[in-house]
Amino acid sequence: MTRFVFKMPDLGEGTVEAEIVAWHTAPGAVVSEDQVIVEVMTDKAAVEVPAPVSGRVVSITGAPGDKVAVGSPLIVFETSAEPGADTPTAAPAVAPETVAPETVAPEAEAAAPAAGAGRAAAASDQGTGPARGARVMTSPANRRRAREAGIDLARIAGSGPGGRILRTDLPADTAAGGTATAVGTVAGGAASRAAGGELTSEIKVIGVRRLIAERMSEAKRTIPHFAYVEEVDVTELESLRQHLNTQLPPGAAALTYLPLIIPALVRALEAFPQCNVLHDAARGVLVRHRAVHVGVATQTPDGLKVPVVRNAQALDLWELAAAVRRVTERARSNQATREELTGSTITITSLGKLGGIASTPIINAPEVAIIGLNKAVERPVVRQGAVVVRRIMNLSSSFDHRFVDGYDAAAMIQALKELLEHPAAIFLPKAKVP
Amino acid sequence: MASMNMIQALNSAMDIMLRKDPAVVLMGEDIGYFGGVFRTTDGLQRKYGAHRVLDTPIAEGGIVAAAIGMAVNGLRPVAEIQFADYIYPGFDQIASELARLRYRTAGEFFAPVTIRTPCGGGIRGGQTHSQSPEGIFTHVSGLKVVMPSNPYDAKGLLITSIEDDDPVVFFEPKRLYNGPFDGDPGKPAVPWSSHPKGQVEEGYYTLPLGVAEVVRPGSQLTIVTYGTMVFVALAAAAALGVDAEIIDVRSLVPLDVDTICSSVRRTGRCVVAHEATRFSGFGAELVAVIQEECFWDLEAPIQRVTGWDTPYPHAFEWEYFPGQARVATAVKAVMEPA
Repeated sequence: MTRFVFKMPDLGEGTVEAEIVAWHTAPGAVVSEDQVIVEVMTDKAAVEVPAPVSGRVVSITGAPGDKVAVGSPLIVFETSAEPGADTPTAAPAVAPETVAPETVAPEAEAAAPAAGAGRAAAASDQGTGPARGARVMTSPANRRRAREAGIDLARIAGSGPGGRILRTDLPADTAAGGTATAVGTVAGGAASRAAGGELTSEIKVIGVRRLIAERMSEAKRTIPHFAYVEEVDVTELESLRQHLNTQLPPGAAALTYLPLIIPALVRALEAFPQCNVLHDAARGVLVRHRAVHVGVATQTPDGLKVPVVRNAQALDLWELAAAVRRVTERARSNQATREELTGSTITITSLGKLGGIASTPIINAPEVAIIGLNKAVERPVVRQGAVVVRRIMNLSSSFDHRFVDGYDAAAMIQALKELLEHPAAIFLPKAKVP
Repeated sequence: MASMNMIQALNSAMDIMLRKDPAVVLMGEDIGYFGGVFRTTDGLQRKYGAHRVLDTPIAEGGIVAAAIGMAVNGLRPVAEIQFADYIYPGFDQIASELARLRYRTAGEFFAPVTIRTPCGGGIRGGQTHSQSPEGIFTHVSGLKVVMPSNPYDAKGLLITSIEDDDPVVFFEPKRLYNGPFDGDPGKPAVPWSSHPKGQVEEGYYTLPLGVAEVVRPGSQLTIVTYGTMVFVALAAAAALGVDAEIIDVRSLVPLDVDTICSSVRRTGRCVVAHEATRFSGFGAELVAVIQEECFWDLEAPIQRVTGWDTPYPHAFEWEYFPGQARVATAVKAVMEPA
């Protein structure tokens, strides 16, 4: 018998920790290699982690909701392997070097804002964390805990005086070991009181919900939102959509508005590249993207997710329709990978039939714009002095007013409106000066 | 076992050593015929004779110098300096001669001298009867420095000190002579007879130097202290309701680094307390050692509780004395979330 310590693997670029979502095994259980033993979550993607070996589970680390640092022990197996090597350790795919706590991780492209997991969410974006390159303030004991857990303290926002990192700012399992808690520290872990007769029930804010909460707060707190609502006459767009749906091969899914609106947005963004931007707060840079990766806000059983249709500018109507269907279904069925849930450059949010008249969407940071689609309904409108019935849909959009001026935002929406009201223009080449 | 206060325990230690070892002699001001101003040597001259228990002139330099000479020639003198406040005339003899003798002569000569001296405040003694100069002596290489906090330790440590072949400066916290003192002068005096450490074996026993005692085990922080402050720390921690581990250093040199540091490594928080002044005090050495050994386990900066950096005052003694309130302030500071 020999023991095998399996450490939290690196689940993607820039991942420093992952949250336990659900254990599919328990101490004492016998598992076979490749059997799924735990579901963890980084950023927005849930990942099922298979057992690296066959054996009996001796111990597991972390309860659902706990964050476990990459490289720290996750599960200990007792394997029937030949004795010899005393305690082999499964090194994570990319074992994090034991970095000096002061070291600031190199600026990976998507690392800073995308690693929105937990408090690690790029503290410097808010300007409240320690300045980059400045010394991290924390006790020696916390430095040791972070070092042993492979946590880069530069990525932790301290909640103590002067931004000092407290033990409670570290992931729970990191802070668990060692010395006694301070006087007055409230013990955590409120038990569920949902049992019969209780008037309240408690739901732990963990997993996707916690991420949603953190990212929403972060975006709303740091971005001065500028909202702009305009009505769009989609009568012709609807007519085109219905016509196209009559031409579908049997069994094909009907076209929705989205595959029509996305290419219109792509066309509009050609003239307004300042709206297809990711804000790299850490470097103080706006990164303009020539490619349009469209985030599609999607309601899932776990809550809001934003799967991404990549390179929308390169896809035709039917490819877009397929791509939207694919990514949203994968998000709904919790199959989307981390890559499929990150990297959008602009987001479209639509509540479909629940779209209402107007909304004030929250920007999917670090993007600078989000386009909200309200419900398309037939309304009496005045055209050339006569009241006519037209299908009207409002666009409710929000822009990061730090980087997109109101004038440009309005002009961009007007350009989008022009395209949507004259759908042939969406698919025609741009007019050229002869 | 007999109930003894610290004076009786020290008297018993010297009595036993006078009887056990004919080389042991006591010497000091008023220690013989009079029996000592604190009665520590009461009855010993009558019992062992004036050639074993010597009254000396009021000349501390001479007392130490004579003790060195006697020790080099085979005796084992126990010299009393009536108050630690008066030890300075003997300091040159202690630092320049006594401490260095073994080193200077490559081990050919050595001086088994024990210098007993009452120290510390809390007795309304003003600046000439209240000082805590232990840090001056811990800084002199070649000296061992001991300060017991109770009768049981006092006896065992004094016998060990007398039997040690090298010089030991043995500080006796005079406020503890008659009973433990928690720093509150308003409370009635507590006798040693009501304290477990006031139960002392009547016969010969020794306690090793270099071994600290965990007076109270605890988990939340470590208070490293000695002398009178042991009881102040105990009372302050109890009043705060913190689970403090309290360590009585007992032997300042040699220092029991293991006991202290294994505790701090466990608790992650530490307060160092002594009556002596702060700047360059022995507490600074304790803090330095602890941070060297325990740095990566520290949750918070180590705090010091000490006397103020002024001479011991004639008035306002209880503003000067580092009582429970000052210990409590330091404990709270060190317990802040980290």
